[in-house]
Amino acid sequence: MSNKNQRISLIELEEGQAGNIVSIQGGRNMLKRLADLGLNEGAEIKLIGRTLFTGPVQVEVCNSRFVIGRGMASRIIVVPK
Amino acid sequence: MTDEKKINIVLAGQGNAGKSSVFNYLTGLHQHIGNWAGKTIEKREGTLFYKGFTIDVLDLPGIYSLTTFSVEELISREYIISQKPDYVVNVIDSTNLERNLIFTLQLLELECPVILDMNMVDLAWRKGIAIDYQELENILNTPVVPTVASRGAGLTTIIDKIIERRRQRTGIASIRYGKEIESCIEQLILMLKDKELQYPARWIALKLIEKDAAITKAINEKYPGIVEKAGELNRSLEQIHGHDSSLVIADERSHLASQITRTIVKINRKKQVRLNDRLDAITTHKFYGYLAMILIMGGMFLTVFTFGNWLSGLFDTLFKNWHDWWNMNVGVTFAASLGWSAVESVLALIQIALPYILPFYIILYILEDWGYISRISFLMDHLMHKMGIHGKACISFIIGLGCNVPGCLSCRIMETRRERFITAVLVTMVPCSAVSVIVFGLVGKYVGLLWALGLYVFAMALVFLVGKISSKLLLGEPVELIMAMPDYKTPHVRTIVAQTWDSLKEFVYIAAPIVIVTGVVIQAINLAGWMPAISSFLYPVTVTWLGLPAITGILLIFGVLRKELILVMLAAYLGTSNFGNALSPQQMITLAVVSMFYIPCVATISVLWKDYGWKKALAVCIIEIVFAIILAGLVSRLLDLVF
Repeated sequence: MSNKNQRISLIELEEGQAGNIVSIQGGRNMLKRLADLGLNEGAEIKLIGRTLFTGPVQVEVCNSRFVIGRGMASRIIVVPK
Repeated sequence: MTDEKKINIVLAGQGNAGKSSVFNYLTGLHQHIGNWAGKTIEKREGTLFYKGFTIDVLDLPGIYSLTTFSVEELISREYIISQKPDYVVNVIDSTNLERNLIFTLQLLELECPVILDMNMVDLAWRKGIAIDYQELENILNTPVVPTVASRGAGLTTIIDKIIERRRQRTGIASIRYGKEIESCIEQLILMLKDKELQYPARWIALKLIEKDAAITKAINEKYPGIVEKAGELNRSLEQIHGHDSSLVIADERSHLASQITRTIVKINRKKQVRLNDRLDAITTHKFYGYLAMILIMGGMFLTVFTFGNWLSGLFDTLFKNWHDWWNMNVGVTFAASLGWSAVESVLALIQIALPYILPFYIILYILEDWGYISRISFLMDHLMHKMGIHGKACISFIIGLGCNVPGCLSCRIMETRRERFITAVLVTMVPCSAVSVIVFGLVGKYVGLLWALGLYVFAMALVFLVGKISSKLLLGEPVELIMAMPDYKTPHVRTIVAQTWDSLKEFVYIAAPIVIVTGVVIQAINLAGWMPAISSFLYPVTVTWLGLPAITGILLIFGVLRKELILVMLAAYLGTSNFGNALSPQQMITLAVVSMFYIPCVATISVLWKDYGWKKALAVCIIEIVFAIILAGLVSRLLDLVF
């Protein structure tokens, strides 16, 4: 990545690349659900893999793996490392 | 028994932490599985006799959080607060410590005595995770015990510690959050202090800041002033932090969890790439993942079929001469032939159903224990969205392959009522192991394996089609998938044997009596000479439209009880399990198609009834009956062109 501080959505990360979450655009319940899993602003998140078409993405947060739907993932904004 | 010697503990933890292993190890055969009052959520209780103590163990539903998102979460938290168990054993997946600690913090907020069961420490160690248990114990002021529950290692230490500390309700940890939050909590506690409350004051204060719906409502009824004050404090918190106060607390917890984790965990990342990591990369790969899925599922069906045929043949030789023996020694009177039909029904059940059901369950539980089913959810999420649901529904579908009842029950993992209902309806169309008895034992054996597999593909296509239609009919946006992806684990033999045995027990205790009664009733109807009358009543459907033998009418009626009955009873009625002489290939396929879809079995209907009301349950039944009959008739006519 050329610009270290550019903000991109989670799904724009390369596979294996990590970033820090700077904001999550979603409803209160969704945000809380994510926070209970350790996904909140400031957390480091790594994109592990995608599926074909517009399927979900697999990510790693604090040493745990999660699957997040594509729509939600596109609303998680990160600054790539 | 004095009360001194009685202890009750509950197991709490997030999904995949190994709670079931702990429960099974502690309680062994002394288990009782029921339902939570008025809910279709499983309640598992058991007893452990240890060093003269009677220890009641309750397994709370696996949950992610103690906020009121789901019924399970509400049940768990209500139980801990109102029943005041002597100890809460918090089962933790040591390989996912940070995420699990968030839940632990929520447990500690309830101010109940907690003991931490650091499960799967062997896996953590292999992953290169070193944990300082003593430091964790100091930070949380709560006993911490490393365990490997699947082997039972460390579990007696937990019980010993509980016995040792049972009377001292100390060790109740005090978790402190950020300064602004603590000052809000303090102000609320001051107001709550002298009130009559069922819950700890600090916990209520936290819940008010979190805007927990249930607690806010309960407090507002009695002390609206406190809720008003909480609202004020929340607004000031929101101004400082820039987002909703409920999130402020959640953020605090996860920061604290990550801070604790950093203090006590050392990760040696340089460990070799493990086999499981490689498997993970392949099975979730964009292309190979799908290929692996087809191979694994195909392999499963192939194994079930091959093993089933072999075992079924073995039983066939074994039971061959029993009928002659019975006629010679018991006689051929009316009573004797009724007696024989009871015996024969059970033999048919063992010979026809068991050989296919047994390997099916074993393989399903291996896949589940290994952690593969989550991978299917991941791969299939995109397709599931086209049906208005998400990838987690796959878990219900795959459980439904074993039995529709737990399949339907598992639909509660879906987030909204709409999705739960769509998934449940689709699960009733998934061919369960009872139907697979018909598909493999009849079509696979006498028509060809490809036809049997074809029927499964056909069923999956129909599930997709019906899903697509129902998502159009029941409006609403599909919820997004959020799911933990467990690491692959080496499947654990003991767990798989226990789970398979559980499912087979159901088979023995429920299927066998039904089969005996049904067998005798059908034989009695037959001997009384009423068969033609009943058969002719259904003649227009079974014979004219479906082209099946008249006897299938009564079999399909009894098949509502359990679907494998259709084939088992047919064998009992024919007096042979060589169906090749009795049915043409076309009739076999038609019968299989009807059996697959014509109605959910009684047990499944009762689950639908309880969860979604009788109107929806009845509608599902009627629609499926009409749909299956029309479909099978069309299939039968199409097959005219083939055979």
